[in-house]
Amino acid sequence: MTDGPKKIIKDITKGFAKHGYICSEQIATAVYLASELEKPILIEGPPGVGKTELANTAALYFKKEMIRLQCYEGLDESKALYEWRYGKQLLYTQILKEQMQEVLEGAKGLKESLDRLMKFEDIFFSEDFLETRPLLEALTSEKGSVLLIDEVDKSDEEFEALLLEILSEFQISIPELGVRKADVKPLVVLTSNNSREIGDALKRRCLHLYIPFPDAKLERQIVQARVPEITESMQIQLVNFVQGIRELDLKKLPAISETIDWAKTVILLNSEELDAKLAEDTLNVLLKHQQDIEVVKKEIPALVSSATETSDGKSLN
Amino acid sequence: MEKVLTDFVKALRNSNVRVSPAETIDAVSVIDSVGYEDKELLKRTLSIVLSKTPDEKDKFNACFDDFFSDEIKQQASVDMDQLSDIKDIDSDLAKKLLEGSQGELMLSIADAAEEAEIREIRYFTQRSVFTRRILEKMGVGKLEDELMQLGSSREDELPSDLEQELRNQLTNLRERVSDYVQQQFLLHGDVSGEQLREQIFKSMNMAQIDRSYLNEVHSLVRKMAKKLANLHSRRKKNFKKGKLDIRKTIRDNWVNQGILFNLSWAYKKVDRPKIYVICDVSGSVGAYARFMLMFLFSLTEVVSKLRGFVFSANLGEVTNDFKDAKLDEAIEKALQKHGGGSTDYGQALTDFVSLCLDEIDNKTTVVILGDARNNFGPEKAHLMKTIKERSKQVFWLNPEGKYRWDTGDSVMTKYSAYCTKVFQCGNIDQLERVVSTLLKTAI
Repeated sequence: MTDGPKKIIKDITKGFAKHGYICSEQIATAVYLASELEKPILIEGPPGVGKTELANTAALYFKKEMIRLQCYEGLDESKALYEWRYGKQLLYTQILKEQMQEVLEGAKGLKESLDRLMKFEDIFFSEDFLETRPLLEALTSEKGSVLLIDEVDKSDEEFEALLLEILSEFQISIPELGVRKADVKPLVVLTSNNSREIGDALKRRCLHLYIPFPDAKLERQIVQARVPEITESMQIQLVNFVQGIRELDLKKLPAISETIDWAKTVILLNSEELDAKLAEDTLNVLLKHQQDIEVVKKEIPALVSSATETSDGKSLN
Repeated sequence: MEKVLTDFVKALRNSNVRVSPAETIDAVSVIDSVGYEDKELLKRTLSIVLSKTPDEKDKFNACFDDFFSDEIKQQASVDMDQLSDIKDIDSDLAKKLLEGSQGELMLSIADAAEEAEIREIRYFTQRSVFTRRILEKMGVGKLEDELMQLGSSREDELPSDLEQELRNQLTNLRERVSDYVQQQFLLHGDVSGEQLREQIFKSMNMAQIDRSYLNEVHSLVRKMAKKLANLHSRRKKNFKKGKLDIRKTIRDNWVNQGILFNLSWAYKKVDRPKIYVICDVSGSVGAYARFMLMFLFSLTEVVSKLRGFVFSANLGEVTNDFKDAKLDEAIEKALQKHGGGSTDYGQALTDFVSLCLDEIDNKTTVVILGDARNNFGPEKAHLMKTIKERSKQVFWLNPEGKYRWDTGDSVMTKYSAYCTKVFQCGNIDQLERVVSTLLKTAI
């Protein structure tokens, strides 16, 4: 170990910030561990807290190719692992038939024909006809890669079982060709929205990172990094307002991505100060359900006043 | 140092964080790279490696803070020679307290604890018992007697330096023993008391469980519902849309010179099943109604094709009320709207038949939760017959014990004639068995 883990973690935090991703210490530690232990990392958390973005940034930071596999119900090995090029294989058999004449020419008796046939090179199942899909691609990538398996919870349980071999051994067994092992182990990131419980077998093989909604300080940093045009007072007010909304009982709480969208909207509208009217007009950027909007509308005056108050307090300090 | 880690893992398992041996090995290799020096860093890394759900992360944090919090208390140093009355004290414990090192003291605590069979500690209520037992084994009784004597023999009001010192040490000792017991409890005991509670709840009659335990019971019921649904949902996967399996088709037809002769299908298409649950929430089952509804609610959470109905006299559908709602509110709402009245099974069945009979087909399972106490009204059993004939199967779950069926106004036999199966379902254990049968046959 040349550098202490603390220094590496700090470097990761800084490096990620350069690419516009502000991460908490917990996240940086997880990234460090994933690269140090060469273990896949399973990220859970509410939608919009930057799970997918973390993988993107990691790819930029480690300067590796990013390979993404989006999961959905019905995803199977032919779309995730590999597939044979059936069309070419069929053509190949046609060519083979013609070649066969030459090979077997002059052969006497059935046995000799068979011997010759056996000597004949068979490439029906070989690399030539193998179509790689994301998982195999990530394993065979020469420079290493960041493999993002997005929303694992959307896939079927069978698919999870398929992942086990790849995640623990970094290898894929292709029955016709044998085992393909990764030369350079990819950094694997799995994300889940918890729409169903992920199996224990899969969890056991992964590091587990839970990203919650950020606290006010972290969220301000994130908004600052993503929307640098925003004024400081406005940024504080927006974040306080959003943090206030998260206290309410809503169907879908606004996430960081929504805060950022909102900040961009406010910039677009050239607003200087957060007031009740502005909040009400732009609420649909922040909330995605009509019921939620109605709930929040009633609370707007209180939220706005507390958001601006705390920001005044902060700026005095 | 590995001993510390394995002990910690044991404590984690005790507080219901599931840690596998492979994860423990991961933790060891993690510690190799981050070391023990930085406590915060250690906590963050171990939390990533060992705890795998948000819930477990909370438990992990609590457990970590508990486990690594042992601050060694400073021992007051007193000059022994100045204590004039030291000859009056001759118990072993006193000597150990005054002269022995921290390590020795710790050792004798551990020995005494071993004698007191601390390994047997299971429940948090036993902590004080074990603390007292350990102190007794260490000879606190004798020391206290001596202190009493010291106190009674003194002439002036103020206690002597020795007495003061011994009393301080004794207080320290008590604290340390109770800390030690707490730590051992984390290692050996059922920390959250969850196993004990679960066992009791499972076998207790549902009507007798106190309402304040509603949350615990709900999590238990939900766990059960989820487990059962998971167990049986696998079978659904084979029912997915029919699709041409190209790979298999080509492989199979390779023998036909590549001419696609026999087609293979990836999945066979089968319709999904439907479950209708009718729940009695009238006065006679008042005590059970809450749990019946809780169960119904949990089922709607895990089984998608399910419709729920409740009734006292008139029948009402609650499927939509239960979706995306909170348990308490949903149950309150259902009880307010439909609950508490006098039972009329005849009316409820009439309503059900007019509402859904057309939708019931040979893949439908109908489940009725109720005590079949009809207030001597018309039971309209012929409606049950109609339902039975149209559906795949009809189950009746009765919360009352079998000995009470057909007593008073119960007309269980009249209805059970038209049920595929009748279950007694008074506690959660029974409920679990019933649901397992239900899901096995319904899907």
